[in-house]
Amino acid sequence: MKLRTFLAFVAPSVAVMVILIAVPLVGIVYLSLYQSHTKTELVELTVEVPTFGGKTRKDTRLSPQPVLDENGEPVRVWKFVGTQNLAKATDLKQLTQAITDPGDASGRGFLGRMYQEVVNIEFWAALEFTLLYTFLTTPAMLMVGLGLALAVNSVTRQMRGTLVFATLLPMIVTPIVSSLAVYWLFLDNSLVSTLMEYLGFGRFYFLADKVTTRTLIILYGVWFAAPFAFIILYAGLQTLPLEPLESAMIDGANEWQRLRYIIIPHLSPLITVIALIHIMDAYRVFEPILVFSSDVYASSVQFLTYFVLSYEDNIHRAAAYSLLTIVGVILLLIPVLRQSFRERQVET
Amino acid sequence: MAAVLAVLPVTASADCGIEDAGEVNILTNFFDVLELLANEMKECESDALTVDVKLTTTHKEERERAFEASSSPYDGSAVANSSITALQAKGQLMRLNDLVDKYRDEYQIEDQMLIRFGDDVSAIAFMANAQHFFYRTDLFEKHGLAVPQTYGELLAAAEVLKSEESISYPFGAAFGGSGGWEVANEFVNLLLANGGQLFDPATSEPAFDSQAGVEALETMGKLSEYMSPNALALDFLDVKRQLQQGEVAMAILWGNEANGMDNASESVVVDKVAFAPAPAMVDGGPPATTFWWDGYVIPRNLDGDPDLTFRLIMHATRPEVVAKNNDAALWIRSNYVPTKYAAAVAASVEANAPPYPMNPQAEIAHGALGNNISDFLAGKESAAQSLMDAAADYRSAAEDAGLL
Repeated sequence: MKLRTFLAFVAPSVAVMVILIAVPLVGIVYLSLYQSHTKTELVELTVEVPTFGGKTRKDTRLSPQPVLDENGEPVRVWKFVGTQNLAKATDLKQLTQAITDPGDASGRGFLGRMYQEVVNIEFWAALEFTLLYTFLTTPAMLMVGLGLALAVNSVTRQMRGTLVFATLLPMIVTPIVSSLAVYWLFLDNSLVSTLMEYLGFGRFYFLADKVTTRTLIILYGVWFAAPFAFIILYAGLQTLPLEPLESAMIDGANEWQRLRYIIIPHLSPLITVIALIHIMDAYRVFEPILVFSSDVYASSVQFLTYFVLSYEDNIHRAAAYSLLTIVGVILLLIPVLRQSFRERQVET
Repeated sequence: MAAVLAVLPVTASADCGIEDAGEVNILTNFFDVLELLANEMKECESDALTVDVKLTTTHKEERERAFEASSSPYDGSAVANSSITALQAKGQLMRLNDLVDKYRDEYQIEDQMLIRFGDDVSAIAFMANAQHFFYRTDLFEKHGLAVPQTYGELLAAAEVLKSEESISYPFGAAFGGSGGWEVANEFVNLLLANGGQLFDPATSEPAFDSQAGVEALETMGKLSEYMSPNALALDFLDVKRQLQQGEVAMAILWGNEANGMDNASESVVVDKVAFAPAPAMVDGGPPATTFWWDGYVIPRNLDGDPDLTFRLIMHATRPEVVAKNNDAALWIRSNYVPTKYAAAVAASVEANAPPYPMNPQAEIAHGALGNNISDFLAGKESAAQSLMDAAADYRSAAEDAGLL
């Protein structure tokens, strides 16, 4: 192919990638290097507001008011701060303190106390749960997905359509809606709590401590992501050649051995792809954290981005958190990508 | 969570006296009263005039972006005490004085509806709100309890009500909700009533990490012992439901939720709940609550017509709307007839409950508190430590906002 023809063919893809991927990435990096605000000065100001029943209240105090330029417009300050946003986002100051001098609050050993102090810092607490969620849901969703695929594959053809649809449901429902549904199942006097009390387990508070809240969110994650693994692995199973399976059976391989030595190796490129995509998704876990309002017990890096952007109205630090999310995803993907690269090398 | 609803056109189209052509876009929070007012605005739609009201619980994020842009797609927005402060301090709000003067008679604009920063009228308020004490009269009678005047008395009453078998827990308050906004609001109520303040006005340094703050937070810790163990995941709507379903005997809730207690379709405690001002933190002190108002602002950078937007807002909040929907809100207009559901709010005014502090520092402090004090309530660290963490967060955010 001539270079010109080649370029003409890839140009649309390159253009889309530049607009949708490169530009926002550069934008995030740029924003995270700056800090901006409206210039204010403290002015004595009387504020009058209604209370109730026709009454109002006046309150005079120093209040920040905008500094205006010659045109009467508020002055915006836009200054380069370098890595300051990243340092603040990761709370390097507190981190250094936690590592060098973790205090002696609990009776644990030095490392235990250090860990305790580190995960008390917002970002590192969020990172702790984000990683926990990623590393626990990835193998779990693969196993559940594979189990479901094998199960659906073994039933009669007539039933498969219905089963595939039913299994896909968790993936079809919008995450925020399914998070809410799960949250409502486990609240006080909810279906599950009431049922458990009725069955004699006593009152159980799922959202009252770290372990149960985290378990719920992780189980939700597996439930939500497993259909994705299922549908891809199920499709993979349809391409499984019968001959090696039959020869294995003649050689006396049991079911486990057939799964271990024939089916899984056949599916392994798919498993790599699923793991790759799920790790990217899992690292951005957000909806259940928001819906369970559980950030005391389980926060995530993506939730922090949202929090800083919407509650602190700080687009620059939010950009720093986004950048950290991207870096995190890339770091996590490196081993998987290397693995898939090696597999390809072996094949060729 | 993030509920978005585009208001459907109402069928009954009243003559609203606005014949201008154009398009007006308004952004508001999402709750009943705002939906009602949005429908009033939609009444003015004609072939020439388009009125779009976007009701969403993520209004704050959208508003901040829109008002900061070179031109705002929204011509008006509903705000409250806390959300107006940053907009005002950034100089993003239109001065409404001339419009108020021009239309004062036509729409019977009353002085108490005007939110003033110095000489500038920056918002038109339509409703007030304050949290107060809700309690079960039947259970208070049964156990011989008096309405608590202080949080000490409330804790004593809670101890007595522990033995009551018809309820699950004695007390409910909104310690959950996303982003920690509500739990921080409870803290602000107790802090101010305890003589503390959020920040030092002269320096903008945080002031909530004080003895008054520690006491306020420790009081919340004691309260949580009488609340659902899930309390850190329950927002005010959950608490309202707890009270309506007879799960708790006392609660701190918003004034506009009072009439819901007697709504037989969602409450099993109709006529059994009474209301009083929030208890004080110190003997004889003001009730531990703050006054809120809800109102509309117009941004300076709107792309529409401020005159037309202003008239739409005033049309939606005219006296007839108040008269027609008297019980829907604690209206600020003087033709509102207070019902028994408003008595506790009125009593809170008499008892000198302060308005929620209207400074941008307060909003930042509120956010920092919401992000940290739950650590204490969850038993992860001491009250003083979590307030110190909040103070560090506050400093960091205030520096970024150019206030420190």
